[in-house]
Amino acid sequence: MSKYTIVSELVGTPGEEFVPDEGINVDALIWGGFIKSDNKALKSAKTEPTEENQ
Amino acid sequence: MATSTYLSNPTVTVNSVALTGFSTAATLTRTNTAQDTTVFGNTARVYSATIEDNELTVSLYMTYAASETYATLATLVGTATTVVVKPTSAATSATNPGFTLTNTYLESLPVINANLGEISSIDITFKGGTYTAATS
Repeated sequence: MSKYTIVSELVGTPGEEFVPDEGINVDALIWGGFIKSDNKALKSAKTEPTEENQ
Repeated sequence: MATSTYLSNPTVTVNSVALTGFSTAATLTRTNTAQDTTVFGNTARVYSATIEDNELTVSLYMTYAASETYATLATLVGTATTVVVKPTSAATSATNPGFTLTNTYLESLPVINANLGEISSIDITFKGGTYTAATS
């Protein structure tokens, strides 16, 4: 499940976790800079060089 | 004379963002569209409830600063969200209900409304949505 942190005091206390209520457009809040997503980008799998992909 | 009056000072929250400090007017109207069900023999019109058609209109100052009015509303156009209006900033209670429209639709946004020498303000309308009045 996605986790979010409050950035703007217009949404709550900055630094606290933001838990969206029903019907809240989270993408709009992120776009507006009111909250930020705590989801870290997945690291791509490392591929060891082989003779085939070199 | 009325025994109790209310000096307008509501709180306005749009998509979880407190826009009270930008708002100058708010009207939330709960409507249940009437269907005429009058039949022969009736001596007066008879109406029956059909479906709710609620609406919230808000007037607010337009700002383009980070995380303010424009940043709140720009990406909500054409989408549904949740809005809450309360009579005062006090805790939600039976005497200060939180009027909420869930899944209410923002059809349009005046992205600029400028007049010479005036502070820019806009009117926006949220259409539809499920109405509730929280008391706790």
